[in-house]
Amino acid sequence: MRHFLNPLKIFVALGCLSAVLSVLVLLGFLIQSSLPFWQAFGIQVLWGDAWYPYESLFGFLPAIVGTVWALLIAMIIALPCGLAAAIVSSEMMSETWRDLVRVGMEILAGIPSVVYGLIGLWVLLPFLQHSLDLLTGHNLLAAGMILSLMILPTIMVMSQDALQAISQEQRESAMSLGLDWQQRLFRVLLPQAWPGIRSGILLALGRALGETMAVMLVVGSMDRLPEPFYNILEPAQTLTSRIGREMGEASFGSLHFSALMGCGLILAVMAMGLSLLAQRRSLIR
Amino acid sequence: MNLSHKAVPEPIEGSQKNVGHAFDSLCCEHLYLHLSNQIILKDVSFSLPEKGITSLIGPSGAGKSSLLRCITGLNETWQGDIKLNQQRLRQWHGGVDALRKHIGLISQKPSVFPVSIAENVIFGLSRKQRKQNQSRWIQHCLEKAALWDEVKHRLNMPAASLSLGQQQRLCLARALALKPSMLLLDEPTASLDPRSKELIEASLRQLAESMPLLCVTHDLQQTQRLQGQVIFMCDGKIIETGSCGDFFEHPERIETREFLQWSVCDCGD
Repeated sequence: MRHFLNPLKIFVALGCLSAVLSVLVLLGFLIQSSLPFWQAFGIQVLWGDAWYPYESLFGFLPAIVGTVWALLIAMIIALPCGLAAAIVSSEMMSETWRDLVRVGMEILAGIPSVVYGLIGLWVLLPFLQHSLDLLTGHNLLAAGMILSLMILPTIMVMSQDALQAISQEQRESAMSLGLDWQQRLFRVLLPQAWPGIRSGILLALGRALGETMAVMLVVGSMDRLPEPFYNILEPAQTLTSRIGREMGEASFGSLHFSALMGCGLILAVMAMGLSLLAQRRSLIR
Repeated sequence: MNLSHKAVPEPIEGSQKNVGHAFDSLCCEHLYLHLSNQIILKDVSFSLPEKGITSLIGPSGAGKSSLLRCITGLNETWQGDIKLNQQRLRQWHGGVDALRKHIGLISQKPSVFPVSIAENVIFGLSRKQRKQNQSRWIQHCLEKAALWDEVKHRLNMPAASLSLGQQQRLCLARALALKPSMLLLDEPTASLDPRSKELIEASLRQLAESMPLLCVTHDLQQTQRLQGQVIFMCDGKIIETGSCGDFFEHPERIETREFLQWSVCDCGD
Protein backbone atom coordinates (compact mmCIF):
# COMPACT_ATOMS: atom_id res chain seq x y z
CA MET A 1 0.00 0.00 0.00
CA ARG A 2 2.89 2.31 0.89
CA HIS A 3 4.24 1.61 -2.60
CA PHE A 4 1.17 3.24 -4.19
CA LEU A 5 1.01 6.17 -1.80
CA ASN A 6 4.48 7.44 -2.62
CA PRO A 7 3.93 11.20 -3.25
CA LEU A 8 6.37 11.28 -6.16
CA LYS A 9 4.60 8.42 -7.88
CA ILE A 10 1.22 10.08 -7.32
CA PHE A 11 2.59 13.29 -8.80
CA VAL A 12 4.00 11.49 -11.85
CA ALA A 13 0.77 9.52 -12.31
CA LEU A 14 -1.29 12.72 -12.15
CA GLY A 15 1.05 14.34 -14.71
CA CYS A 16 0.60 11.41 -17.10
CA LEU A 17 -3.14 11.40 -16.56
CA SER A 18 -3.41 15.13 -17.22
CA ALA A 19 -1.43 14.75 -20.49
CA VAL A 20 -3.79 12.04 -21.72
CA LEU A 21 -6.83 13.93 -20.47
CA SER A 22 -5.84 17.18 -22.20
CA VAL A 23 -5.58 15.37 -25.54
CA LEU A 24 -8.98 13.80 -24.99
CA VAL A 25 -10.49 17.12 -23.85
CA LEU A 26 -9.03 18.89 -26.91
CA LEU A 27 -10.42 16.26 -29.27
CA GLY A 28 -13.73 16.22 -27.45
CA PHE A 29 -14.01 20.00 -27.65
CA LEU A 30 -13.26 20.03 -31.40
CA ILE A 31 -15.73 17.22 -32.07
CA GLN A 32 -18.41 18.80 -29.93
CA SER A 33 -18.05 22.26 -31.44
CA SER A 34 -17.95 20.98 -35.02
CA LEU A 35 -20.73 18.42 -34.49
CA PRO A 36 -23.57 20.67 -35.79
CA PHE A 37 -21.66 21.09 -39.04
CA TRP A 38 -20.98 17.34 -39.48
CA GLN A 39 -24.61 16.57 -38.65
CA ALA A 40 -25.84 19.07 -41.23
CA PHE A 41 -23.49 18.23 -44.10
CA GLY A 42 -21.91 14.82 -43.39
CA ILE A 43 -18.38 13.82 -44.27
CA GLN A 44 -18.89 14.33 -48.00
CA VAL A 45 -17.74 17.93 -47.45
CA LEU A 46 -14.21 16.48 -47.19
CA TRP A 47 -14.14 16.10 -50.96
CA GLY A 48 -16.30 19.12 -51.84
CA ASP A 49 -14.40 21.73 -53.83
CA ALA A 50 -16.46 24.89 -53.24
CA TRP A 51 -16.20 27.00 -50.10
CA TYR A 52 -18.82 29.77 -49.95
CA PRO A 53 -19.90 29.97 -46.28
CA TYR A 54 -22.58 32.59 -46.95
CA GLU A 55 -24.22 30.23 -49.45
CA SER A 56 -23.79 27.28 -47.08
CA LEU A 57 -21.26 25.62 -49.37
CA PHE A 58 -18.47 24.03 -47.37
CA GLY A 59 -15.96 22.07 -49.44
CA PHE A 60 -12.79 21.13 -47.58
CA LEU A 61 -10.81 19.67 -50.48
CA PRO A 62 -9.04 22.87 -51.71
CA ALA A 63 -7.71 23.61 -48.23
CA ILE A 64 -6.70 19.98 -47.62
CA VAL A 65 -4.92 19.82 -51.00
CA GLY A 66 -3.29 23.19 -50.33
CA THR A 67 -2.09 22.00 -46.91
CA VAL A 68 -0.64 18.80 -48.37
CA TRP A 69 1.09 20.70 -51.21
CA ALA A 70 2.59 23.25 -48.82
CA LEU A 71 3.88 20.44 -46.60
CA LEU A 72 5.28 18.57 -49.56
CA ILE A 73 7.09 21.59 -51.01
CA ALA A 74 8.46 22.49 -47.58
CA MET A 75 9.79 18.97 -47.05
CA ILE A 76 11.27 18.73 -50.56
CA ILE A 77 13.29 21.88 -49.85
CA ALA A 78 14.01 21.54 -46.13
CA LEU A 79 14.81 17.83 -45.87
CA PRO A 80 17.87 17.68 -48.14
CA CYS A 81 19.10 21.10 -46.95
CA GLY A 82 18.62 20.28 -43.26
CA LEU A 83 20.15 16.84 -43.58
CA ALA A 84 23.11 18.14 -45.57
CA ALA A 85 23.67 20.93 -43.04
CA ALA A 86 23.53 18.41 -40.20
CA ILE A 87 26.01 16.09 -41.90
CA VAL A 88 28.43 18.88 -42.78
CA SER A 89 28.29 20.50 -39.35
CA SER A 90 28.43 17.21 -37.45
CA GLU A 91 31.05 15.38 -39.49
CA MET A 92 33.22 18.01 -41.13
CA MET A 93 33.28 21.10 -38.95
CA SER A 94 35.33 21.76 -35.87
CA GLU A 95 33.48 21.95 -32.58
CA THR A 96 33.61 25.77 -32.59
CA TRP A 97 32.04 26.07 -36.03
CA ARG A 98 29.53 23.35 -35.20
CA ASP A 99 28.38 25.28 -32.13
CA LEU A 100 28.16 28.49 -34.15
CA VAL A 101 25.96 26.86 -36.79
CA ARG A 102 23.81 25.36 -34.07
CA VAL A 103 23.34 28.71 -32.36
CA GLY A 104 22.36 30.19 -35.73
CA MET A 105 19.80 27.43 -36.28
CA GLU A 106 18.37 27.84 -32.79
CA ILE A 107 17.97 31.57 -33.39
CA LEU A 108 16.25 30.79 -36.69
CA ALA A 109 13.89 28.44 -34.85
CA GLY A 110 13.06 31.11 -32.28
CA ILE A 111 12.06 33.85 -34.73
CA PRO A 112 8.27 34.50 -34.55
CA SER A 113 6.42 33.13 -37.53
CA VAL A 114 4.90 36.49 -38.42
CA VAL A 115 8.44 37.74 -39.13
CA TYR A 116 8.87 34.93 -41.63
CA GLY A 117 5.55 35.92 -43.13
CA LEU A 118 6.67 39.54 -43.48
CA ILE A 119 9.97 38.49 -45.06
CA GLY A 120 7.97 36.34 -47.45
CA LEU A 121 5.63 39.20 -48.22
CA TRP A 122 8.33 41.77 -48.92
CA VAL A 123 11.14 39.66 -50.35
CA LEU A 124 9.92 36.29 -51.58
CA LEU A 125 6.64 37.27 -53.25
CA PRO A 126 8.09 40.06 -55.45
CA PHE A 127 11.01 37.79 -56.30
CA LEU A 128 8.72 34.93 -57.38
CA GLN A 129 6.40 37.28 -59.25
CA HIS A 130 9.20 38.82 -61.30
CA SER A 131 11.41 35.82 -61.81
CA LEU A 132 8.55 33.48 -62.83
CA ASP A 133 6.55 36.21 -64.58
CA LEU A 134 3.39 35.65 -62.51
CA LEU A 135 0.37 37.87 -61.91
CA THR A 136 0.96 37.54 -58.19
CA GLY A 137 3.64 36.00 -56.02
CA HIS A 138 1.04 34.65 -53.59
CA ASN A 139 0.97 30.93 -54.22
CA LEU A 140 1.64 27.46 -52.81
CA LEU A 141 5.29 27.61 -53.82
CA ALA A 142 5.80 30.72 -51.67
CA ALA A 143 3.97 29.07 -48.75
CA GLY A 144 6.10 25.93 -49.11
CA MET A 145 9.32 27.96 -49.33
CA ILE A 146 8.52 29.99 -46.23
CA LEU A 147 7.53 26.84 -44.36
CA SER A 148 10.76 25.15 -45.43
CA LEU A 149 12.77 27.96 -43.87
CA MET A 150 10.77 27.61 -40.68
CA ILE A 151 11.19 23.84 -40.33
CA LEU A 152 14.81 23.73 -41.48
CA PRO A 153 16.22 24.29 -37.95
CA THR A 154 14.12 21.45 -36.50
CA ILE A 155 15.34 18.97 -39.10
CA MET A 156 18.91 20.20 -38.91
CA VAL A 157 19.24 20.32 -35.12
CA MET A 158 17.57 16.95 -34.52
CA SER A 159 19.57 15.28 -37.30
CA GLN A 160 22.77 16.78 -35.90
CA ASP A 161 21.91 15.45 -32.44
CA ALA A 162 21.21 12.02 -33.88
CA LEU A 163 24.53 11.96 -35.77
CA GLN A 164 26.47 13.23 -32.77
CA ALA A 165 24.98 10.49 -30.62
CA ILE A 166 26.78 7.81 -32.65
CA SER A 167 29.77 6.67 -30.65
CA GLN A 168 33.33 7.40 -31.67
CA GLU A 169 34.00 3.65 -31.45
CA GLN A 170 31.50 3.01 -34.23
CA ARG A 171 33.09 5.66 -36.43
CA GLU A 172 36.59 4.34 -35.79
CA SER A 173 35.49 0.75 -36.35
CA ALA A 174 34.15 1.75 -39.75
CA MET A 175 37.33 3.68 -40.50
CA SER A 176 39.55 0.81 -39.46
CA LEU A 177 37.71 -1.42 -41.93
CA GLY A 178 38.84 0.91 -44.70
CA LEU A 179 35.37 2.29 -45.46
CA ASP A 180 35.64 5.61 -47.24
CA TRP A 181 33.73 8.72 -46.20
CA GLN A 182 30.65 7.95 -48.31
CA GLN A 183 30.48 4.36 -47.15
CA ARG A 184 30.76 5.43 -43.53
CA LEU A 185 27.99 7.94 -44.06
CA PHE A 186 25.54 5.66 -45.84
CA ARG A 187 26.34 2.37 -44.08
CA VAL A 188 27.09 3.45 -40.52
CA LEU A 189 26.09 7.01 -39.71
CA LEU A 190 22.75 7.54 -41.47
CA PRO A 191 21.25 4.11 -40.66
CA GLN A 192 22.10 4.54 -36.99
CA ALA A 193 20.96 8.15 -36.87
CA TRP A 194 17.74 7.43 -38.77
CA PRO A 195 15.38 7.13 -35.77
CA GLY A 196 16.46 10.62 -34.62
CA ILE A 197 16.30 12.04 -38.13
CA ARG A 198 12.82 10.55 -38.60
CA SER A 199 11.64 12.13 -35.37
CA GLY A 200 13.03 15.47 -36.58
CA ILE A 201 11.20 15.13 -39.88
CA LEU A 202 7.90 14.34 -38.19
CA LEU A 203 8.26 17.15 -35.66
CA ALA A 204 9.03 19.51 -38.53
CA LEU A 205 5.97 18.25 -40.41
CA GLY A 206 3.91 18.88 -37.30
CA ARG A 207 5.17 22.43 -37.08
CA ALA A 208 4.58 23.04 -40.79
CA LEU A 209 1.09 21.60 -40.52
CA GLY A 210 0.08 23.94 -37.71
CA GLU A 211 1.75 27.06 -39.01
CA THR A 212 -0.81 29.81 -39.64
CA MET A 213 0.50 33.33 -39.71
CA ALA A 214 3.38 33.07 -42.18
CA VAL A 215 1.39 30.86 -44.54
CA MET A 216 -1.66 33.12 -44.34
CA LEU A 217 0.42 36.09 -45.47
CA VAL A 218 1.86 34.44 -48.57
CA VAL A 219 -0.48 31.68 -49.75
CA GLY A 220 -3.09 33.93 -51.39
CA SER A 221 -6.14 32.46 -49.55
CA MET A 222 -7.96 31.44 -52.71
CA ASP A 223 -10.47 28.63 -52.11
CA ARG A 224 -10.07 26.61 -55.24
CA LEU A 225 -8.26 23.50 -56.35
CA PRO A 226 -5.03 24.08 -58.29
CA GLU A 227 -5.54 23.51 -62.03
CA PRO A 228 -3.93 21.25 -63.06
CA PHE A 229 -3.50 19.66 -59.65
CA TYR A 230 0.29 20.15 -59.74
CA ASN A 231 0.06 23.86 -60.45
CA ILE A 232 1.74 25.33 -57.39
CA LEU A 233 2.07 28.80 -58.90
CA GLU A 234 -1.54 29.80 -58.23
CA PRO A 235 -2.97 31.37 -55.07
CA ALA A 236 -4.44 28.69 -52.85
CA GLN A 237 -5.66 28.01 -49.34
CA THR A 238 -4.53 25.87 -46.43
CA LEU A 239 -6.56 24.69 -43.44
CA THR A 240 -4.67 26.96 -41.05
CA SER A 241 -4.86 30.04 -43.25
CA ARG A 242 -8.59 29.51 -43.67
CA ILE A 243 -9.14 29.30 -39.92
CA GLY A 244 -6.88 32.31 -39.32
CA ARG A 245 -8.56 34.44 -41.94
CA GLU A 246 -12.23 33.56 -41.34
CA MET A 247 -12.56 32.89 -37.62
CA GLY A 248 -12.94 36.62 -36.90
CA GLU A 249 -15.83 36.87 -39.37
CA ALA A 250 -17.76 33.77 -38.24
CA SER A 251 -20.39 34.37 -35.60
CA PHE A 252 -20.14 32.09 -32.58
CA GLY A 253 -22.37 29.03 -32.86
CA SER A 254 -23.07 29.46 -36.58
CA LEU A 255 -22.52 26.72 -39.18
CA HIS A 256 -19.58 28.71 -40.51
CA PHE A 257 -18.05 28.63 -37.03
CA SER A 258 -18.69 24.88 -36.78
CA ALA A 259 -17.15 24.35 -40.20
CA LEU A 260 -13.99 26.16 -39.11
CA MET A 261 -13.88 24.01 -35.97
CA GLY A 262 -14.17 21.05 -38.37
CA CYS A 263 -11.04 22.36 -40.15
CA GLY A 264 -9.35 22.41 -36.73
CA LEU A 265 -10.46 18.83 -36.11
CA ILE A 266 -8.96 17.69 -39.43
CA LEU A 267 -5.70 19.46 -38.54
CA ALA A 268 -5.63 17.86 -35.11
CA VAL A 269 -6.23 14.42 -36.59
CA MET A 270 -3.46 14.96 -39.16
CA ALA A 271 -1.05 16.15 -36.44
CA MET A 272 -1.91 13.18 -34.23
CA GLY A 273 -1.43 10.85 -37.18
CA LEU A 274 2.07 12.26 -37.68
CA SER A 275 2.81 11.97 -34.00
CA LEU A 276 1.65 8.37 -33.93
CA LEU A 277 3.79 7.69 -36.98
CA ALA A 278 6.79 9.07 -35.09
CA GLN A 279 6.04 6.80 -32.16
CA ARG A 280 5.10 3.82 -34.28
CA ARG A 281 8.22 1.82 -33.50
CA SER A 282 8.01 2.30 -29.76
CA LEU A 283 4.29 1.52 -29.77
CA ILE A 284 4.93 -1.74 -31.59
CA ARG A 285 7.60 -2.59 -29.00
CA MET B 1 49.41 -13.17 -44.61
CA ASN B 2 48.73 -16.17 -46.71
CA LEU B 3 45.11 -17.15 -46.71
CA SER B 4 45.32 -18.56 -50.20
CA HIS B 5 46.18 -22.09 -49.09
CA LYS B 6 44.08 -24.52 -51.09
CA ALA B 7 42.14 -25.74 -48.02
CA VAL B 8 41.25 -22.21 -47.02
CA PRO B 9 38.31 -20.47 -48.71
CA GLU B 10 38.72 -17.05 -50.27
CA PRO B 11 36.23 -14.21 -50.18
CA ILE B 12 34.49 -14.25 -53.55
CA GLU B 13 36.22 -11.79 -55.90
CA GLY B 14 39.13 -11.46 -53.41
CA SER B 15 39.09 -8.55 -51.04
CA GLN B 16 42.47 -7.11 -51.98
CA LYS B 17 45.70 -7.82 -53.76
CA ASN B 18 48.25 -9.56 -51.61
CA VAL B 19 51.22 -7.37 -50.93
CA GLY B 20 53.11 -9.85 -48.80
CA HIS B 21 56.91 -9.87 -48.93
CA ALA B 22 59.45 -11.85 -46.98
CA PHE B 23 60.71 -8.77 -45.15
CA ASP B 24 60.00 -7.06 -41.90
CA SER B 25 56.28 -6.49 -42.18
CA LEU B 26 56.08 -3.20 -40.30
CA CYS B 27 58.90 -0.77 -39.81
CA CYS B 28 58.62 2.49 -37.84
CA GLU B 29 61.53 4.91 -38.00
CA HIS B 30 62.00 8.01 -35.90
CA LEU B 31 58.32 8.44 -35.24
CA TYR B 32 57.20 11.61 -33.46
CA LEU B 33 53.69 12.62 -32.50
CA HIS B 34 52.59 15.93 -31.02
CA LEU B 35 49.04 16.44 -29.82
CA SER B 36 47.81 19.67 -28.21
CA ASN B 37 51.38 20.91 -27.65
CA GLN B 38 52.28 17.67 -25.92
CA ILE B 39 54.84 15.21 -27.20
CA ILE B 40 53.11 11.84 -27.27
CA LEU B 41 55.72 9.82 -29.20
CA LYS B 42 59.45 10.61 -29.21
CA ASP B 43 61.75 9.05 -31.76
CA VAL B 44 59.98 5.69 -31.80
CA SER B 45 61.74 3.16 -34.03
CA PHE B 46 61.05 -0.55 -34.23
CA SER B 47 60.22 -3.24 -36.71
CA LEU B 48 58.00 -6.28 -36.55
CA PRO B 49 58.99 -9.66 -37.95
CA GLU B 50 57.06 -11.24 -40.79
CA LYS B 51 54.95 -13.22 -38.34
CA GLY B 52 54.55 -13.71 -34.62
CA ILE B 53 53.18 -11.76 -31.69
CA THR B 54 54.81 -8.62 -30.39
CA SER B 55 53.44 -7.31 -27.09
CA LEU B 56 53.56 -3.59 -26.55
CA ILE B 57 53.60 -2.88 -22.83
CA GLY B 58 54.12 0.11 -20.62
CA PRO B 59 52.38 2.29 -18.08
CA SER B 60 49.23 4.27 -18.93
CA GLY B 61 50.02 7.36 -21.00
CA ALA B 62 53.16 5.80 -22.47
CA GLY B 63 51.86 6.31 -26.01
CA LYS B 64 51.03 2.71 -26.86
CA SER B 65 47.51 3.31 -28.19
CA SER B 66 48.66 6.50 -29.93
CA LEU B 67 51.28 4.44 -31.74
CA LEU B 68 48.59 2.06 -33.01
CA ARG B 69 46.45 5.00 -34.11
CA CYS B 70 49.40 6.39 -36.09
CA ILE B 71 49.96 3.07 -37.84
CA THR B 72 46.29 2.71 -38.81
CA GLY B 73 46.04 6.31 -39.95
CA LEU B 74 43.46 7.23 -37.31
CA ASN B 75 45.99 9.83 -36.31
CA GLU B 76 47.69 11.36 -39.32
CA THR B 77 49.73 14.13 -37.74
CA TRP B 78 52.78 12.00 -36.98
CA GLN B 79 56.23 12.72 -38.33
CA GLY B 80 58.82 10.15 -39.30
CA ASP B 81 58.48 7.10 -41.46
CA ILE B 82 56.27 4.03 -41.23
CA LYS B 83 56.55 1.27 -43.82
CA LEU B 84 54.32 -1.74 -44.26
CA ASN B 85 55.91 -4.45 -46.41
CA GLN B 86 58.51 -1.94 -47.62
CA GLN B 87 55.84 0.52 -48.72
CA ARG B 88 55.58 3.93 -47.07
CA LEU B 89 52.19 4.48 -45.44
CA ARG B 90 52.17 8.14 -46.49
CA GLN B 91 52.44 7.08 -50.12
CA TRP B 92 50.11 4.10 -49.94
CA HIS B 93 48.40 3.45 -53.24
CA GLY B 94 44.71 4.26 -52.84
CA GLY B 95 45.19 6.41 -49.76
CA VAL B 96 44.56 5.80 -46.11
CA ASP B 97 41.24 3.97 -46.63
CA ALA B 98 42.95 1.39 -48.83
CA LEU B 99 45.78 1.12 -46.28
CA ARG B 100 43.35 0.37 -43.44
CA LYS B 101 42.11 -2.70 -45.29
CA HIS B 102 45.63 -4.10 -44.89
CA ILE B 103 45.87 -3.40 -41.18
CA GLY B 104 43.29 -5.02 -38.95
CA LEU B 105 42.60 -3.06 -35.78
CA ILE B 106 40.88 -4.52 -32.73
CA SER B 107 40.00 -1.99 -30.05
CA GLN B 108 39.69 -2.45 -26.33
CA LYS B 109 35.93 -2.04 -26.40
CA PRO B 110 34.21 -4.25 -28.98
CA SER B 111 32.14 -2.19 -31.37
CA VAL B 112 29.79 -4.23 -33.52
CA PHE B 113 27.48 -2.67 -36.09
CA PRO B 114 23.70 -2.94 -35.57
CA VAL B 115 23.28 -5.61 -38.23
CA SER B 116 23.36 -9.39 -38.12
CA ILE B 117 26.37 -11.45 -37.07
CA ALA B 118 27.00 -12.59 -40.66
CA GLU B 119 26.68 -9.05 -42.03
CA ASN B 120 29.11 -7.82 -39.42
CA VAL B 121 31.76 -10.28 -40.60
CA ILE B 122 31.61 -9.05 -44.19
CA PHE B 123 30.94 -5.40 -43.31
CA GLY B 124 34.28 -4.25 -44.68
CA LEU B 125 33.95 -6.01 -48.04
CA SER B 126 32.86 -4.16 -51.16
CA ARG B 127 29.19 -4.01 -52.10
CA LYS B 128 29.76 -6.44 -54.97
CA GLN B 129 31.40 -8.94 -52.66
CA ARG B 130 28.69 -8.59 -50.03
CA LYS B 131 25.99 -9.28 -52.58
CA GLN B 132 27.57 -12.63 -53.41
CA ASN B 133 27.28 -15.73 -51.28
CA GLN B 134 30.09 -15.42 -48.76
CA SER B 135 28.88 -18.14 -46.39
CA ARG B 136 32.11 -20.19 -46.61
CA TRP B 137 34.24 -17.10 -46.06
CA ILE B 138 32.08 -16.05 -43.10
CA GLN B 139 32.46 -19.51 -41.61
CA HIS B 140 36.23 -19.46 -42.16
CA CYS B 141 36.66 -16.06 -40.48
CA LEU B 142 34.43 -17.01 -37.55
CA GLU B 143 36.38 -20.25 -37.13
CA LYS B 144 39.64 -18.31 -37.10
CA ALA B 145 38.20 -16.10 -34.38
CA ALA B 146 37.01 -19.15 -32.40
CA LEU B 147 33.38 -18.05 -32.63
CA TRP B 148 31.87 -20.32 -35.26
CA ASP B 149 30.68 -23.07 -32.91
CA GLU B 150 28.84 -20.56 -30.75
CA VAL B 151 27.05 -18.67 -33.52
CA LYS B 152 26.67 -21.07 -36.44
CA HIS B 153 22.94 -21.51 -35.80
CA ARG B 154 22.19 -17.83 -35.33
CA LEU B 155 24.15 -16.01 -38.00
CA ASN B 156 21.16 -13.83 -38.79
CA MET B 157 20.66 -12.69 -35.22
CA PRO B 158 21.69 -9.12 -34.32
CA ALA B 159 25.34 -8.88 -33.37
CA ALA B 160 24.37 -6.89 -30.28
CA SER B 161 22.75 -10.04 -28.86
CA LEU B 162 26.22 -11.57 -28.33
CA SER B 163 28.13 -11.33 -25.08
CA LEU B 164 31.01 -8.87 -24.81
CA GLY B 165 33.59 -11.61 -25.28
CA GLN B 166 31.74 -12.94 -28.34
CA GLN B 167 31.46 -9.41 -29.75
CA GLN B 168 35.21 -8.98 -29.41
CA ARG B 169 35.77 -12.22 -31.32
CA LEU B 170 33.28 -11.02 -33.91
CA CYS B 171 35.38 -7.87 -34.31
CA LEU B 172 38.39 -10.12 -34.83
CA ALA B 173 36.52 -12.12 -37.48
CA ARG B 174 35.43 -8.86 -39.15
CA ALA B 175 39.02 -7.68 -39.33
CA LEU B 176 40.19 -11.06 -40.66
CA ALA B 177 37.54 -11.00 -43.42
CA LEU B 178 39.58 -8.30 -45.14
CA LYS B 179 42.67 -10.55 -45.28
CA PRO B 180 44.85 -7.99 -43.51
CA SER B 181 48.64 -8.05 -43.75
CA MET B 182 48.88 -7.56 -40.01
CA LEU B 183 46.75 -7.15 -36.90
CA LEU B 184 46.96 -4.42 -34.29
CA LEU B 185 45.23 -5.12 -30.99
CA ASP B 186 44.62 -2.48 -28.36
CA GLU B 187 44.07 -4.30 -25.07
CA PRO B 188 41.73 -6.77 -26.76
CA THR B 189 40.88 -8.71 -23.61
CA ALA B 190 40.90 -5.88 -21.07
CA SER B 191 37.23 -6.11 -20.15
CA LEU B 192 36.58 -9.77 -20.83
CA ASP B 193 36.00 -12.79 -18.63
CA PRO B 194 38.76 -15.44 -18.30
CA ARG B 195 37.06 -17.85 -20.71
CA SER B 196 36.76 -15.23 -23.47
CA LYS B 197 40.31 -14.13 -22.76
CA GLU B 198 41.54 -17.68 -23.18
CA LEU B 199 39.66 -18.14 -26.46
CA ILE B 200 40.98 -14.90 -27.90
CA GLU B 201 44.54 -15.68 -26.86
CA ALA B 202 44.26 -19.09 -28.52
CA SER B 203 43.05 -17.40 -31.74
CA LEU B 204 45.87 -14.89 -31.59
CA ARG B 205 48.49 -17.59 -31.15
CA GLN B 206 47.10 -19.40 -34.17
CA LEU B 207 46.94 -16.22 -36.26
CA ALA B 208 50.49 -15.30 -35.28
CA GLU B 209 51.71 -18.33 -37.21
CA SER B 210 50.82 -16.60 -40.44
CA MET B 211 50.96 -12.84 -39.81
CA PRO B 212 52.48 -10.26 -37.49
CA LEU B 213 50.44 -9.16 -34.49
CA LEU B 214 51.14 -6.09 -32.39
CA CYS B 215 49.24 -6.33 -29.14
CA VAL B 216 48.99 -3.53 -26.59
CA THR B 217 48.40 -4.97 -23.15
CA HIS B 218 48.65 -4.11 -19.47
CA ASP B 219 48.42 -7.74 -18.51
CA LEU B 220 51.98 -9.03 -18.06
CA GLN B 221 50.73 -12.55 -17.47
CA GLN B 222 49.06 -12.39 -20.83
CA THR B 223 52.32 -11.18 -22.39
CA GLN B 224 54.05 -14.20 -20.94
CA ARG B 225 51.32 -16.51 -22.16
CA LEU B 226 51.47 -15.08 -25.66
CA GLN B 227 55.29 -15.29 -25.75
CA GLY B 228 56.86 -13.66 -28.83
CA GLN B 229 58.62 -10.30 -28.70
CA VAL B 230 58.10 -7.50 -26.18
CA ILE B 231 58.40 -3.75 -26.66
CA PHE B 232 58.39 -1.68 -23.48
CA MET B 233 57.36 1.97 -23.81
CA CYS B 234 57.44 4.75 -21.27
CA ASP B 235 56.83 8.49 -21.69
CA GLY B 236 56.43 8.17 -25.46
CA LYS B 237 59.76 6.39 -25.95
CA ILE B 238 60.74 2.82 -26.52
CA ILE B 239 62.81 1.84 -23.51
CA GLU B 240 63.57 -1.78 -24.20
CA THR B 241 62.77 -4.52 -26.68
CA GLY B 242 63.53 -8.20 -26.63
CA SER B 243 62.16 -11.68 -26.54
CA CYS B 244 59.58 -12.43 -23.88
CA GLY B 245 61.90 -14.68 -21.85
CA ASP B 246 64.80 -12.20 -21.82
CA PHE B 247 62.54 -9.28 -21.06
CA PHE B 248 61.04 -10.80 -17.94
CA GLU B 249 64.10 -12.63 -16.70
CA HIS B 250 66.95 -10.27 -17.58
CA PRO B 251 65.61 -6.74 -18.07
CA GLU B 252 68.46 -4.41 -19.00
CA ARG B 253 67.10 -0.97 -18.20
CA ILE B 254 66.30 0.35 -14.78
CA GLU B 255 62.91 1.70 -15.98
CA THR B 256 61.94 -1.79 -17.12
CA ARG B 257 62.96 -3.33 -13.82
CA GLU B 258 60.95 -0.72 -11.92
CA PHE B 259 57.90 -1.25 -14.16
CA LEU B 260 58.07 -5.01 -13.74
CA GLN B 261 58.52 -4.63 -10.01
CA TRP B 262 55.49 -2.36 -9.69
CA SER B 263 53.42 -4.54 -11.96
CA VAL B 264 54.29 -7.62 -9.90
CA CYS B 265 53.28 -5.68 -6.76
CA ASP B 266 50.00 -4.73 -8.46
CA CYS B 267 49.36 -8.35 -9.36
CA GLY B 268 50.16 -9.35 -5.79
CA ASP B 269 47.66 -6.82 -4.46
